[in-house]
Parts: sequence; C-alpha cells; structure tokens
Amino acid sequence: MTEGLTAIINVFPYMLGGSLVTILVVLGAMGLGLFLGIPLAVGQVYGNQAVRWAVGLYVWFFRGVPLLVLLFLFYFGLFAVLEINLTAFTVAVMVLGMISGAYQSQIIRGAILSLPEGQLRAARALGMSDAKAVMHIILPQALRLSIPGWSNEYSIVLKDSAVTFALGVQEIMARTHFVATRTYQHLPLYILAGLIYLVLTYAGIKALRMLEQKVRIRGYAHH
Amino acid sequence: MPEEPILRIENIKKAFGQREVLKGVSLSISRGELKVLIGPSGAGKSTLLQCINFLVTPEAGEIWLEGHRINQHRKRELYAYRQQVGMIFQDFNLFDHLTALDNIRIALLRVRGMSKQEADARAMAELERVGLSGHALHYPAQLSGGQKQRVSIARALAMDPKVMLLDEPTSALDPELIGEVLAVIRDLVANGMTMIMATHQIGFSRALADEIIFMVDGLVLEQGTPERIFSDAVCERAREFCAKITELYGESL
Repeated sequence: MTEGLTAIINVFPYMLGGSLVTILVVLGAMGLGLFLGIPLAVGQVYGNQAVRWAVGLYVWFFRGVPLLVLLFLFYFGLFAVLEINLTAFTVAVMVLGMISGAYQSQIIRGAILSLPEGQLRAARALGMSDAKAVMHIILPQALRLSIPGWSNEYSIVLKDSAVTFALGVQEIMARTHFVATRTYQHLPLYILAGLIYLVLTYAGIKALRMLEQKVRIRGYAHH
Repeated sequence: MPEEPILRIENIKKAFGQREVLKGVSLSISRGELKVLIGPSGAGKSTLLQCINFLVTPEAGEIWLEGHRINQHRKRELYAYRQQVGMIFQDFNLFDHLTALDNIRIALLRVRGMSKQEADARAMAELERVGLSGHALHYPAQLSGGQKQRVSIARALAMDPKVMLLDEPTSALDPELIGEVLAVIRDLVANGMTMIMATHQIGFSRALADEIIFMVDGLVLEQGTPERIFSDAVCERAREFCAKITELYGESL
C-alpha cells in the first residue's frame, strides 16, 4: 500500500508532463479537426455533386478505418514511403485531427441543416453571395449550435489520444505503461492515469459549457 | 403606361415537379406605385415574389429593371440586382445571432462595402425611421413580431432599393401588432417607394394600392384599380374571394 503511494508521489511530476503532452495532442487534433470540419461541412451541404461525393469519401474513410490502423498507416507506412520525417507527436496530431475533422464535419453539417432556411434566403435577398452568406450568417450560428456536439467529440479525442502511445508519443498512457513495467505498481499507477483522464474530461467539458454560455444569443430561452 | 415601368416581368413560369405554380405571369410597375397581389393560398403569389428576385429560379420568363434585362446566371449582375430589390418575408427572417442594429449593418458592411461609421449612421437612421432606435441592441428573440418585421423593413431600406417586394408582411403577426407594421408601410407609400405586396389586408389595399392583381392557380385572373376589383370585379372568383376576405379580415385600417 505504502509502496503504491510512494510510486504515485514519485511519478507525479513525470505524469503531469505526460498530461501536458496529452493536452497538446488533443488541442492540436481538435483544432485541425475544426479547420478541416468547417469546409467539409460547407462542401457537403452547399457543394455540387462532385464536392459532396469527395466529402463523403473522406468521411467514410476516416470514420471507417480504426485509429490504430490509421496511425500505423501514416507513421510507418505513408510517411516512411514518402520519406517525410515527422515526429510521432506530429503524426498523432495529424491523424487524430483528420479523424476528428470527419466527425466534426458531421456535427457542423447537422447544425447548418438545423438553421431555418429563411436565414440563407434573407442573406441572398440582400445581395450577398452564397460564400458571404455562409461566412457571416450561416457559420456564426451553426458553430454556436455545434458546441454541445464538440464536448462529445472532445471526450472521444481525449480517450483516443491514449492509443498514440503505440507510436511512442510520451503522453499519459505511454508514461504510465513505462513506469508500471519497471515498478510493478500497475494498479495504483493505472488508477492514477484513469483519474487524470477523468479530470481532463471534466475540465474540457466544463470549458466548452462556459464557452457555450459566453456566446449564447440573448433572448433564446431554451438553454 | 404614363412612363417607362421601373420593373417589368414577362411570362414567368415555375413548376415544382409536376405542379405548375406559375403558368405565365406578367406585370409591370412604375416608379412610386403600390401594386397588391391578392388571391387564395396556393395561387402562386409568394412564388411569384420570390421569382422576381430569383430566390426561386423561374423556368421561363424575363425580368427587366429600368429597361435592363437581368441575366440571373451572371452572379455579379444577380447580386447587384438583388441589392436594388428589397424583400420582406412573412416570417421576417432576421439574422438570429445579430442585434437589430447589426442585422441592418451586416449587408452595408459586407455587400455595400461601407465604412463602419457610415454603416452605423445609416443603420441607426433606418431604425429611427421605423421607430425602433431604442431597440438597436436587442436581439431578434427579444423583439415582438411587429418589431421584428419593422427591423426587417429597416434592413431592406438601408440598401436603397428601387423596388420592394413584400410577401404577406403581416400574416404571421398577432392582430394587435399588424397596425404598427402597416403604419410603416403606409409611410413608405407616402414617400413614394415602389412596392409589390402580397397581402390579405383589404382595407389597407383599398386605401393605398394603385392596382390590385388577383391571382388564382398561377395566373393573373383580373387586375385593376381597388374600386373596380373590390366593387365590381368582372370575374366571379374575384368577387367571391373579395367578399370572403373582407368578411374575414374586416374593412378596418
């Protein structure tokens, strides 16, 4: 028991460093996912048939292939063949980000489709091009409506980030595994890892909830 | 015609699938005129108004503004044309994420390319004109239906339209809010705004319209001065419709 406690205390700074890596992976992936998700969603809703088909293909691929397969496919496969030297961290962010882009595109698409059709018509009636209407009228509303979906996506990306330990990214899971195999204190260390994930989940969802409140449109009662 | 019409539409046709909604409608309007579209629901009034600024794409027909035929396939020309034709919707369609002021400013900034100060001044002036300068920072969800419609009129007016299209602007309003919107529209008439308006407000139309256009099943069945249409319409459908609508909505206003 005391050995377990000692192990936890000893590894705590090391685990905090791992938490920071996890946070960076998740923020990077969510950011890249949003950057990809917005044009994908807009393309799928307003694009012509070719664009819609291309987006459908992208979403199908990144939602359909398991995360671990994608990580190995890009890190050991594609980038190795192309002789592009990227760190495991960078590839982890890219792969998680591309997957998140597929999921986020569907969150945003749903939000766009939930807006009243009259919003776009009114923008067009004022002489706005569709691009301007999407930029100034549709997206500001759709992104607000996407925030509840994002907290779901955030908790999924956070948990998925643990899989990147397979590439050797020095995040929470990799460090827990490293210490546990040397100290044989598996139980207390994995409890600690689980608790860190729970704290990060809570903090992220809380932060998104606050963001939701902050950008809430005044007068809307149903929040 | 005393002068060259400002807006002329010719033989507009539109079908949704098998259903022909407009079967060839023509009309023209001169500067400062108010033309009122009446007719039973499903007659094609709303579709016609939306065809006029190409929110709905007509299958056939021509639209001329000040002697210039609009080519809707030239995007730039289409956007420029829409800026000159204001549209008021039955359900307001204010931008829900923007304040009343920003609803008016957004197109001034993003479409007309005004500076922020110019846009501010213009938007405030238009809010003043519809009696809502005290509500500039309210969001649509904080406004009553009548106030929303007045903001949407201010939004359209800020673009300096040559013609305004009003699609049943008071139909979604509680009865006690109709008056404030009609008052604003009455002001526009007095100031010489050119307007085509679909409405069931018979009293208002009788008092102010230059011409009543009676539509049924995608066709103009009869048109003429309010006195003629409301008192002794030639066709029986128009007479019946006017009698019914007068009974329903009354003669007041």
